[in-house]
This record gives sequence, structure tokens and C-alpha cells, in this order.
Amino acid sequence: MKTRVLGLATLLFFALPALAIAADEASTEEDFNPADEWDLHAWIPIHIGPLDMSINKAVAYLMLGALVACVIGIVLMRVKVGRDPTRRQAVGETIYEVAQVQIAEQGLPTKAIARWFPYCTTLLLFIWTVNMLGFIPLPLSDEKWHGIPTFALFAATSTLSVTLALALMTWVFTHVEGIRENGLWPYLKSWIPDVPKGLYPLIIPLEILGQFMRLISLSVRLYANMLAGHMLILTFIGLIFLVTPWIAPFSVALATVFYLFEVVIVVSIQAYIFAALSAIYIGSAIEPEH
Amino acid sequence: MLSAFFVLAETTGDVADAGKAIALALGIGLGALGAGIGIGNIFGSMIQAVARQPELRGELQGIQWLGFALTEAVVFYGLIGGLLAYVLI
Repeated sequence: MKTRVLGLATLLFFALPALAIAADEASTEEDFNPADEWDLHAWIPIHIGPLDMSINKAVAYLMLGALVACVIGIVLMRVKVGRDPTRRQAVGETIYEVAQVQIAEQGLPTKAIARWFPYCTTLLLFIWTVNMLGFIPLPLSDEKWHGIPTFALFAATSTLSVTLALALMTWVFTHVEGIRENGLWPYLKSWIPDVPKGLYPLIIPLEILGQFMRLISLSVRLYANMLAGHMLILTFIGLIFLVTPWIAPFSVALATVFYLFEVVIVVSIQAYIFAALSAIYIGSAIEPEH
Repeated sequence: MLSAFFVLAETTGDVADAGKAIALALGIGLGALGAGIGIGNIFGSMIQAVARQPELRGELQGIQWLGFALTEAVVFYGLIGGLLAYVLI
């Protein structure tokens, strides 16, 4: 308990001056606006034809996330399995069990688990890592203080393009796998539920629209959750500079509450949901109900 | 009463901004209303289910969190819609 409080204090010690400096600089030039955090400036401009593939803050966070996810996987899973498990092995086995029992076995049919379990577990680990990195202050912001980037909170998953790319991957895999297992025509037919033939002109466009709505709901759910979390924390801290400094105890307390809620619940839940829904979508395409 | 409000808005100028702010707040608020009822329902049912059959807790927990996240996301659809209206229009 003591170490936890100490850790939190250290975290706030790092986080608050950064936010203060960032907001202070912003307020001297223009009004403080939490949405400015999502203006992505290109650090290394890369343009391939019409494609803008510049490396910016979100890309840096994604690369870091991929690296950290790999390290977590290697450290936790590539351990010598022993009779009395070390803590590392216990944590690794817990993650594996969640991925196996809660995600893969719940969504995927038995014959597809061997093929799609790695994908779903990768999604779980990667999204969790990127979400979690979003709540650790890192010196990766666009604002400079004497040439050094200030510490800031930012998650790559709070930009729509990242989550849309992840959702698009699941969506494409769903249809490819459905067509491969069932054949094109039977798979398309399996979209249509059991209704009288007269309702077909109404149902068929709705079902086709529903397939695209999956894409939107899957990506917007993760994006909006992370965006709203960061926006809330930034807004409450920003109230100090917008209203009056005397509001600080109140707004810092509220920001801390939201911070803890996001870190403890939302980060893990959203990673779990994304992986579980991917498994369910892929599973339902492989084995349609009728 | 209403006309008094319009006069007030007219005197301060930014009628369009005021409308956008109200739309944003209403979008989030109404979205939160529905999702609040839904989340309450989910956890209420979960408590009942575990009280009746405590041995099913593990299996139910996965479904519970899935339902929670699906319902909670509704608020954020409202938020995104509101932000879109606020920024774009």
C-alpha cells in the first residue's frame, strides 16, 4: 500500500509540472485548449506519392508500444516452466489463461482456435500496452521546454486512424476466413436471418449496412474511450489555468480519480473487449449459425 | 421566458456557438442517460445471477464486462457525434 501511494506521488510529481508548463506556454500565446494535444505535427516528414506517412507523436507511441509488447511477451512467456512457478511465470500464465479461456474459447469454434488464438492474444497484449503507455507521462510531446520535449499523456489509440486500422484488420480477416471456410455464396447467404421472403428488400440492405457498422463500432469504441479519458484528465487540470488557481485541490483530486479509473478499469476492459469481439466476429464467420 | 433567453443570447453575440455548446452537452447527457440505465441493468442482473448461483461467477464475469463495454460505448457515440457537430458545422 505504501509503495503504491509512493508510486502515485512520483507519477503525479512527473505529470503535473509537465501539464503546468504545457498549459502555461499555451496560455501566454493563446487560450489553453485540451484538443491541441491531438494536433499531430510531423517530426520526420515522409511522403510517398499522395500518402502522408510522416512520423509523428502517434507513430512514435505505436512503435514504442510494439516494442514494449514484444518485451512483455518475451519476458513473461519465454520463461523456464517450473514445478513451483515464479511470479513471472504466474503473471504470464494468468494472461495466457484470460486469452485462452475468456477470449478464444468463448468466441472461436474449436477447430479455429489453433489458427486465430495468436492473433487475438496479440491484439489483447498490443492494445493493452498502447493504452497503458497513454497513461504514463513520457517525454514525447510536441511542446518543447528549453529544447527538451515536455512530459505529457497521449495514447496512440486515441487517434481514429490507429483504431480504424486495427478494426479493419479484424474486419478483413473475418470475411476472408468466412469465404474460405464456407465458400463465397453460402457465406453471403448466412448473413440473412430467417425471415419471410417478403421482408428481404428491407433486411438485406440492413444486414449489409450492419457489417460496415461493425467496423465503425469496433474502431470508435476504443478511440472514443481513450479520447474521452485523456480529455477529461486534461480538462480538469486545465481548469486551474482557465478559471482560478484556487480550484487546484478540487480539480487535481477529480483528475486523479479519473486517472485511476482509466488505468485500473478502462485500459484493460477496452483491450479485452477488442480482442473478444474480434474472436467473436471471426468465429461467427467461420461457423455461421444457420 | 424563452424570448428573454433569445435576447440574452443576442446581446452577447455568439448565438451559433451557444447552440453548438448546448447541442454537445445535450448529446452527451442524453447518451449518458440511456447508458446509465443499461449499465445499472447489467450489474443488477449480475448480482442477482451470482446470488442465485455463485459457482457461475467466473463464466458470467466475461459476459458481464463485454456487456458493460458495449453499453458504455453508447455514451461515446453521443460524445463523438456532439464533437463532430461542435467542430464541423
